[in-house]
Amino acid sequence: MKELFPIKQVMGFVFSLILTAVALLVYFLDMSFTAGITILLLTAFVQAGLQLVVFMHAGETEDKGAIYSNVYFGILVALVTIFGTLLIFLWDM
Amino acid sequence: MKIDHSLPLEYSTEENRLKIFGFWIFLGAEIMLFATLFTSYFVYEHRSGNGPSGAEIFELSPVLMETILLLASSFTIGLGIHAMRLGKQKAMMAFFAVTLVLGLGFLGFEIFEFTTYIHEGAGITTSGFTSMLLTTLGTHGLHVTFGFFWGLAILLQVKKRGLTPETANKSFIFSLYWHFLDVVWIFIFSFIYLKGMM
Repeated sequence: MKELFPIKQVMGFVFSLILTAVALLVYFLDMSFTAGITILLLTAFVQAGLQLVVFMHAGETEDKGAIYSNVYFGILVALVTIFGTLLIFLWDM
Repeated sequence: MKIDHSLPLEYSTEENRLKIFGFWIFLGAEIMLFATLFTSYFVYEHRSGNGPSGAEIFELSPVLMETILLLASSFTIGLGIHAMRLGKQKAMMAFFAVTLVLGLGFLGFEIFEFTTYIHEGAGITTSGFTSMLLTTLGTHGLHVTFGFFWGLAILLQVKKRGLTPETANKSFIFSLYWHFLDVVWIFIFSFIYLKGMM
Protein backbone atom coordinates (compact mmCIF):
# COMPACT_ATOMS: atom_id res chain seq x y z
CA MET A 1 0.00 0.00 0.00
CA LYS A 2 2.75 2.39 0.97
CA GLU A 3 4.45 2.12 -2.39
CA LEU A 4 1.29 3.50 -4.00
CA PHE A 5 1.76 6.83 -2.21
CA PRO A 6 5.19 8.14 -3.18
CA ILE A 7 6.43 10.75 -0.74
CA LYS A 8 7.22 13.20 -3.52
CA GLN A 9 3.64 13.33 -4.75
CA VAL A 10 2.14 13.36 -1.25
CA MET A 11 4.38 16.29 -0.35
CA GLY A 12 3.44 17.96 -3.63
CA PHE A 13 -0.23 17.69 -2.71
CA VAL A 14 0.29 18.93 0.85
CA PHE A 15 2.35 21.83 -0.45
CA SER A 16 -0.34 22.79 -2.97
CA LEU A 17 -2.93 22.79 -0.17
CA ILE A 18 -0.65 25.04 1.88
CA LEU A 19 -0.26 27.40 -1.07
CA THR A 20 -4.03 27.51 -1.46
CA ALA A 21 -4.34 28.38 2.24
CA VAL A 22 -1.74 31.14 1.84
CA ALA A 23 -3.64 32.51 -1.16
CA LEU A 24 -6.78 32.60 1.01
CA LEU A 25 -5.07 35.13 3.29
CA VAL A 26 -5.92 37.83 0.75
CA TYR A 27 -9.57 37.09 1.47
CA PHE A 28 -9.38 36.89 5.25
CA LEU A 29 -6.83 39.59 5.98
CA ASP A 30 -7.23 43.24 5.21
CA MET A 31 -4.35 44.13 2.92
CA SER A 32 -3.54 46.53 0.13
CA PHE A 33 -4.25 45.62 -3.48
CA THR A 34 -0.54 45.48 -4.28
CA ALA A 35 0.23 43.15 -1.38
CA GLY A 36 -2.72 40.91 -2.24
CA ILE A 37 -1.83 40.63 -5.92
CA THR A 38 1.81 39.92 -5.07
CA ILE A 39 0.77 37.03 -2.84
CA LEU A 40 -1.61 35.69 -5.48
CA LEU A 41 1.00 35.90 -8.25
CA LEU A 42 3.51 34.07 -6.08
CA THR A 43 1.20 31.30 -4.87
CA ALA A 44 -0.37 30.75 -8.32
CA PHE A 45 2.90 30.49 -10.21
CA VAL A 46 4.62 28.33 -7.58
CA GLN A 47 1.64 26.02 -7.56
CA ALA A 48 1.56 25.83 -11.36
CA GLY A 49 5.29 25.01 -11.38
CA LEU A 50 4.70 22.33 -8.77
CA GLN A 51 2.08 20.64 -10.95
CA LEU A 52 4.37 20.82 -13.95
CA VAL A 53 7.41 19.30 -12.28
CA VAL A 54 5.99 16.93 -9.66
CA PHE A 55 2.81 15.70 -11.31
CA MET A 56 3.33 16.17 -15.04
CA HIS A 57 6.86 14.75 -15.07
CA ALA A 58 7.93 17.53 -17.44
CA GLY A 59 11.66 16.98 -17.01
CA GLU A 60 11.82 13.22 -17.17
CA THR A 61 12.88 12.32 -20.69
CA GLU A 62 15.19 13.45 -23.45
CA ASP A 63 12.41 15.83 -24.58
CA LYS A 64 12.89 17.85 -21.40
CA GLY A 65 14.46 20.83 -23.16
CA ALA A 66 11.82 21.00 -25.87
CA ILE A 67 8.96 20.58 -23.38
CA TYR A 68 10.20 23.36 -21.11
CA SER A 69 10.93 25.67 -24.07
CA ASN A 70 7.38 25.10 -25.31
CA VAL A 71 5.87 25.81 -21.90
CA TYR A 72 8.04 28.88 -21.30
CA PHE A 73 7.17 30.22 -24.74
CA GLY A 74 3.46 29.62 -24.07
CA ILE A 75 3.70 31.47 -20.76
CA LEU A 76 5.71 34.30 -22.33
CA VAL A 77 3.16 34.88 -25.10
CA ALA A 78 0.34 34.59 -22.55
CA LEU A 79 1.91 37.23 -20.27
CA VAL A 80 2.70 39.58 -23.17
CA THR A 81 -0.89 39.26 -24.38
CA ILE A 82 -2.41 39.84 -20.95
CA PHE A 83 -0.16 42.68 -19.78
CA GLY A 84 0.10 44.26 -23.23
CA THR A 85 -3.67 44.45 -23.37
CA LEU A 86 -3.94 45.76 -19.82
CA LEU A 87 -1.41 48.47 -20.66
CA ILE A 88 -3.49 49.69 -23.59
CA PHE A 89 -7.04 49.17 -22.34
CA LEU A 90 -6.88 49.67 -18.59
CA TRP A 91 -3.76 51.56 -17.67
CA ASP A 92 -4.01 54.01 -20.60
CA MET A 93 -0.37 54.02 -21.59
CA MET B 1 8.04 -1.52 -33.08
CA LYS B 2 11.07 -1.12 -30.87
CA ILE B 3 10.20 -1.38 -27.20
CA ASP B 4 12.68 0.09 -24.76
CA HIS B 5 12.16 -1.63 -21.43
CA SER B 6 14.35 0.77 -19.51
CA LEU B 7 11.66 3.46 -19.87
CA PRO B 8 8.15 3.53 -18.35
CA LEU B 9 5.57 1.81 -20.53
CA GLU B 10 4.05 5.05 -21.78
CA TYR B 11 7.40 6.16 -23.21
CA SER B 12 8.51 2.76 -24.42
CA THR B 13 8.31 3.38 -28.16
CA GLU B 14 9.40 6.26 -30.37
CA GLU B 15 5.78 6.86 -31.35
CA ASN B 16 4.72 7.02 -27.71
CA ARG B 17 7.42 9.53 -26.86
CA LEU B 18 6.41 11.73 -29.78
CA LYS B 19 2.74 11.53 -28.87
CA ILE B 20 3.53 12.79 -25.39
CA PHE B 21 5.67 15.57 -26.80
CA GLY B 22 2.93 16.45 -29.28
CA PHE B 23 0.47 16.74 -26.44
CA TRP B 24 2.77 19.20 -24.68
CA ILE B 25 2.69 21.33 -27.84
CA PHE B 26 -1.11 21.20 -27.72
CA LEU B 27 -1.01 22.31 -24.08
CA GLY B 28 1.08 25.30 -25.21
CA ALA B 29 -1.82 26.28 -27.46
CA GLU B 30 -4.23 25.73 -24.58
CA ILE B 31 -2.20 28.15 -22.46
CA MET B 32 -2.86 30.76 -25.15
CA LEU B 33 -6.56 29.94 -25.34
CA PHE B 34 -6.95 30.63 -21.63
CA ALA B 35 -4.61 33.62 -21.82
CA THR B 36 -6.94 35.32 -24.31
CA LEU B 37 -9.92 34.55 -22.09
CA PHE B 38 -8.13 35.99 -19.05
CA THR B 39 -7.15 39.05 -21.10
CA SER B 40 -10.76 39.76 -22.04
CA TYR B 41 -11.90 39.05 -18.51
CA PHE B 42 -9.46 41.57 -17.02
CA VAL B 43 -10.52 44.18 -19.58
CA TYR B 44 -14.23 43.72 -18.74
CA GLU B 45 -13.83 42.91 -15.06
CA HIS B 46 -15.09 46.28 -13.81
CA ARG B 47 -17.59 46.91 -16.60
CA SER B 48 -20.57 45.41 -14.88
CA GLY B 49 -23.09 48.03 -16.07
CA ASN B 50 -26.39 47.60 -14.24
CA GLY B 51 -25.53 44.01 -13.32
CA PRO B 52 -23.80 42.74 -10.20
CA SER B 53 -20.06 43.01 -9.66
CA GLY B 54 -17.72 40.17 -8.78
CA ALA B 55 -17.62 41.10 -5.11
CA GLU B 56 -21.43 40.88 -5.04
CA ILE B 57 -21.86 37.43 -6.56
CA PHE B 58 -18.70 35.49 -5.63
CA GLU B 59 -19.04 33.17 -2.67
CA LEU B 60 -16.07 31.57 -1.03
CA SER B 61 -17.44 28.19 0.06
CA PRO B 62 -18.47 26.67 -3.31
CA VAL B 63 -15.31 28.04 -4.92
CA LEU B 64 -13.16 26.58 -2.17
CA MET B 65 -14.88 23.21 -2.53
CA GLU B 66 -14.26 23.25 -6.29
CA THR B 67 -10.61 24.10 -5.67
CA ILE B 68 -10.09 21.30 -3.16
CA LEU B 69 -11.91 18.75 -5.32
CA LEU B 70 -9.83 19.62 -8.37
CA LEU B 71 -6.55 19.71 -6.42
CA ALA B 72 -7.35 16.32 -4.92
CA SER B 73 -8.25 14.89 -8.33
CA SER B 74 -4.96 16.13 -9.72
CA PHE B 75 -3.22 14.32 -6.85
CA THR B 76 -5.14 11.05 -7.35
CA ILE B 77 -4.48 10.93 -11.08
CA GLY B 78 -0.79 11.46 -10.30
CA LEU B 79 -1.00 8.45 -7.98
CA GLY B 80 -2.78 6.58 -10.80
CA ILE B 81 0.16 7.18 -13.14
CA HIS B 82 2.55 6.13 -10.37
CA ALA B 83 0.60 2.88 -9.89
CA MET B 84 0.60 2.36 -13.65
CA ARG B 85 4.39 2.62 -13.68
CA LEU B 86 4.54 -0.04 -10.98
CA GLY B 87 2.40 -2.21 -13.23
CA LYS B 88 -0.46 -2.27 -10.74
CA GLN B 89 -3.44 -2.10 -13.03
CA LYS B 90 -6.13 -2.43 -10.35
CA ALA B 91 -4.70 0.37 -8.20
CA MET B 92 -4.27 2.53 -11.28
CA MET B 93 -7.89 2.00 -12.32
CA ALA B 94 -9.06 2.74 -8.79
CA PHE B 95 -7.13 6.03 -8.72
CA PHE B 96 -8.47 6.98 -12.15
CA ALA B 97 -12.01 6.20 -11.00
CA VAL B 98 -11.56 8.37 -7.88
CA THR B 99 -10.21 11.15 -10.11
CA LEU B 100 -13.28 11.04 -12.32
CA VAL B 101 -15.64 11.04 -9.32
CA LEU B 102 -13.83 14.10 -7.91
CA GLY B 103 -14.13 15.69 -11.36
CA LEU B 104 -17.87 15.06 -11.31
CA GLY B 105 -18.05 16.63 -7.84
CA PHE B 106 -16.28 19.68 -9.21
CA LEU B 107 -18.76 19.92 -12.07
CA GLY B 108 -21.66 19.55 -9.64
CA PHE B 109 -20.47 22.55 -7.62
CA GLU B 110 -19.82 24.55 -10.76
CA ILE B 111 -23.30 23.89 -12.13
CA PHE B 112 -24.75 24.88 -8.74
CA GLU B 113 -22.66 28.04 -8.85
CA PHE B 114 -23.81 28.90 -12.37
CA THR B 115 -27.50 28.46 -11.54
CA THR B 116 -26.99 30.70 -8.48
CA TYR B 117 -25.48 33.37 -10.73
CA ILE B 118 -28.39 33.17 -13.15
CA HIS B 119 -30.87 33.48 -10.25
CA GLU B 120 -28.99 36.52 -8.98
CA GLY B 121 -29.39 38.15 -12.36
CA ALA B 122 -25.87 37.52 -13.63
CA GLY B 123 -26.58 35.84 -16.96
CA ILE B 124 -24.19 35.66 -19.88
CA THR B 125 -25.79 38.72 -21.55
CA THR B 126 -26.06 40.88 -18.41
CA SER B 127 -22.81 42.81 -18.73
CA GLY B 128 -19.30 42.68 -20.11
CA PHE B 129 -18.18 41.34 -16.77
CA THR B 130 -20.69 38.48 -16.45
CA SER B 131 -20.28 37.61 -20.09
CA MET B 132 -16.50 37.17 -19.82
CA LEU B 133 -16.79 35.54 -16.40
CA LEU B 134 -19.17 32.86 -17.62
CA THR B 135 -17.25 32.35 -20.86
CA THR B 136 -13.96 31.82 -19.03
CA LEU B 137 -15.43 29.57 -16.34
CA GLY B 138 -17.55 27.78 -18.92
CA THR B 139 -14.58 27.04 -21.19
CA HIS B 140 -12.75 25.51 -18.25
CA GLY B 141 -15.87 23.61 -17.18
CA LEU B 142 -16.35 22.25 -20.70
CA HIS B 143 -12.76 21.05 -20.66
CA VAL B 144 -13.43 19.21 -17.40
CA THR B 145 -16.64 17.73 -18.83
CA PHE B 146 -14.79 16.56 -21.92
CA GLY B 147 -12.01 15.22 -19.70
CA PHE B 148 -14.54 13.21 -17.69
CA PHE B 149 -15.76 11.33 -20.75
CA TRP B 150 -12.26 10.97 -22.16
CA GLY B 151 -11.03 9.53 -18.86
CA LEU B 152 -14.01 7.20 -18.68
CA ALA B 153 -13.24 5.88 -22.17
CA ILE B 154 -9.60 5.31 -21.22
CA LEU B 155 -10.59 3.55 -18.02
CA LEU B 156 -12.83 1.17 -20.00
CA GLN B 157 -10.06 0.53 -22.51
CA VAL B 158 -7.51 -0.26 -19.79
CA LYS B 159 -10.03 -2.64 -18.25
CA LYS B 160 -10.56 -4.35 -21.60
CA ARG B 161 -6.98 -4.46 -22.93
CA GLY B 162 -4.87 -4.23 -19.81
CA LEU B 163 -1.74 -2.11 -19.54
CA THR B 164 -0.03 -2.06 -22.93
CA PRO B 165 2.38 0.54 -24.31
CA GLU B 166 -0.65 1.96 -26.11
CA THR B 167 -3.11 2.21 -23.23
CA ALA B 168 -0.37 3.39 -20.85
CA ASN B 169 0.49 6.14 -23.32
CA LYS B 170 -3.15 7.25 -23.58
CA SER B 171 -3.50 7.23 -19.80
CA PHE B 172 -0.38 9.30 -19.34
CA ILE B 173 -1.50 11.86 -21.93
CA PHE B 174 -4.88 12.06 -20.23
CA SER B 175 -3.12 12.72 -16.92
CA LEU B 176 -1.25 15.62 -18.51
CA TYR B 177 -4.56 17.08 -19.67
CA TRP B 178 -6.11 16.70 -16.23
CA HIS B 179 -3.17 18.32 -14.43
CA PHE B 180 -3.30 21.15 -16.94
CA LEU B 181 -6.96 21.80 -16.10
CA ASP B 182 -5.94 22.02 -12.47
CA VAL B 183 -3.27 24.57 -13.34
CA VAL B 184 -5.84 26.66 -15.21
CA TRP B 185 -8.17 26.43 -12.22
CA ILE B 186 -5.43 27.71 -9.89
CA PHE B 187 -5.29 30.86 -12.01
CA ILE B 188 -9.09 31.16 -12.13
CA PHE B 189 -9.24 30.71 -8.36
CA SER B 190 -6.53 33.30 -7.74
CA PHE B 191 -7.17 35.96 -10.35
CA ILE B 192 -10.91 35.77 -10.86
CA TYR B 193 -12.34 34.75 -7.50
CA LEU B 194 -9.83 35.80 -4.84
CA LYS B 195 -8.89 38.98 -6.68
CA GLY B 196 -12.60 39.75 -7.09
CA MET B 197 -13.32 39.21 -3.39
CA MET B 198 -10.19 40.95 -2.10
